[in-house]
Amino acid sequence: MTAPTSAADGTVGAPLTPPRTARRWPAAVALPITLATAILLTLALALPADAEVAQVVLWELRTPRLLLALLGGAAVGVAGLLMQAALRNPLAVPELLGVSTGGALAAAVVVVWALPVPAAAQPVVALAGALGGGALCLAAAGTGRGPGAVLLIGAAMSTALQAVLLAVMAAADRLQYDTLFRYLVGSLTGITWDHARLTLPWLLLCGPLVLAVLPALGVLRLGDEAATALGLHVGRARVAVLGLAAVLVAVVVGPCGPIAWIGFVAPHVARRVRPDADARALLPWAAAFGALFTTVADLAARHAFAPAETPLGAWTAAIGILSGLVLLRRRGTS
Amino acid sequence: MRWWWAVAALVVAVAAELAVGRGVDWPQLDPLEQRILVELRLPRLATALLAGGGLGAAGLLLQAVLRNPLAAPELAGVNPGAVLGVLGGIQLGLVPADSAAGALVAALLGGAAGGSLMWLLARDGTPAQIATYGLLGSAALAGITTLLLAYQPGRFGNALRWLVGSVDGRVWAHVSVAWPWLATALLLAWLCSAVLGMLAAGDGHAAALGLSPRPARALGLALSVALAAGAVALAGALAFVGLVVPHVARALCGADLRRALPAAALLGATMVVGADAVAQVLTLLVQSGSAGQRLAVPAGAVTALLGAVALVVVARRSPHVEVS
Repeated sequence: MTAPTSAADGTVGAPLTPPRTARRWPAAVALPITLATAILLTLALALPADAEVAQVVLWELRTPRLLLALLGGAAVGVAGLLMQAALRNPLAVPELLGVSTGGALAAAVVVVWALPVPAAAQPVVALAGALGGGALCLAAAGTGRGPGAVLLIGAAMSTALQAVLLAVMAAADRLQYDTLFRYLVGSLTGITWDHARLTLPWLLLCGPLVLAVLPALGVLRLGDEAATALGLHVGRARVAVLGLAAVLVAVVVGPCGPIAWIGFVAPHVARRVRPDADARALLPWAAAFGALFTTVADLAARHAFAPAETPLGAWTAAIGILSGLVLLRRRGTS
Repeated sequence: MRWWWAVAALVVAVAAELAVGRGVDWPQLDPLEQRILVELRLPRLATALLAGGGLGAAGLLLQAVLRNPLAAPELAGVNPGAVLGVLGGIQLGLVPADSAAGALVAALLGGAAGGSLMWLLARDGTPAQIATYGLLGSAALAGITTLLLAYQPGRFGNALRWLVGSVDGRVWAHVSVAWPWLATALLLAWLCSAVLGMLAAGDGHAAALGLSPRPARALGLALSVALAAGAVALAGALAFVGLVVPHVARALCGADLRRALPAAALLGATMVVGADAVAQVLTLLVQSGSAGQRLAVPAGAVTALLGAVALVVVARRSPHVEVS
């Protein structure tokens, strides 16, 4: 996680906006410090006394878990930023792409109908379902429509998928419910290197793609008509960006389930740190805040009610809903 | 007069619902089948009729009073709030799990709270904006509900009734609590419909006609909360009924509330009864396919699919829906 901090200190952002150092410097210093503290706490808190056991815990359990929290949070934060920029709507959240619901649905169908799939392949199944759900929503929205219609169609498709998911869940028994729990709420419990190995190549693949679509986002920011006049095929560009966001979220949903609301909060906080910045300048901030929030939420999930572990999704949802209400309220009064 | 179409559709839906019900072999009924019919099938039918009628009428009232074609109980925070009220009440032990009256009170309180919250947050927005806020708010409330359930997975099946909406397993004890409430609210709404209809023309016009808009709007909102929360307490949050039905009702009977309101109630009842008939057929098909699964497709899943398809079709036809 060095990229956000190195980009944060300077002039990488849009040259047109005057630098607002008075606001930015505290965040540029505070964010890396907080993030480093969270990482240290995650690794060091409540280690077993025995040195050998401690090493196994540290390397086999905590490191992959921390890695997924950091990279998964960053990926979801970036996905939220991509969606908000592509639809020019601060309320566009990755949850409305049908990705997490699709992942949960695929996992639920496999578990409830007892299809012959080994337990180790479950993250792959959920990943495939998540990609399928995103593809379904994007196909329903099509390329020829404005951002509002895309958002509305995505929301409708997510609701329909959710209804099917709940209908399938109706047939689950107690044991199956416990298996599916992760895909309903989101959790990092029991993450190992196997999960990390599934996720990391995808994220590495997505990184350059995100950088590649940034110019298109800058043009989309001007409005559909101006972007068309500048020679951009608006519909295709929008679907490409949304598809990339869907892949980013799906990669996280596969092993961890839906990490709710990080995709909504991280870009908003990034925008408060750097108001008036474009997507390129916001990108490292959104990624860093996504990683920070997820790591802190996972710390809380592990230690708040220790020895019991609360689901990560509960904490991210609590953070997200509270800050969402504050943001909406502020928008309403201004 | 297009009333006949609505009535005929309702009759067809009722006939289908009674025909596909399990355990009753028409036309010759032995005493056991008669008991099944009277004590299970008929209250189930009554539940579907009441819940559909309540949601349809509530949606029409909201759309007229707020002058927003995308207003609906589930988008205005009423349905999610009512679901959260019922489930929270049960989870915290305030409401007995199978008490119809307790569920009604909890749904009313929750629905009123959810509706007021969304109203405070989004009242200045454009229609599509309010709808988006509403979808987000519903997602948030559904998330809270899932978290409430997270610690008692054994109750998930029961909670599903309120989350998706289902008329399965409702008996006369539930119906007898709900119908006086819903019938009174429907009657009141119909008696006030001439007044509330003036609001649809705009606050200025209503004031020029001698109506003070604010108390009239408060009355309309209260009635729609009463109808929607009553329906949710009975059958759960049946998705999209309150959004789709009013549009069909207005297309059939015109925008005059005095005619559109009974039409919306009729069509809502038709939609839910028909959806439940389809759900029962699906349940039979699924169960014959995989032995031993106790899957009962809830009616709410069918209405959600129907409504989502309708919404997608409408949104695809109008490319200029703007949400900002």
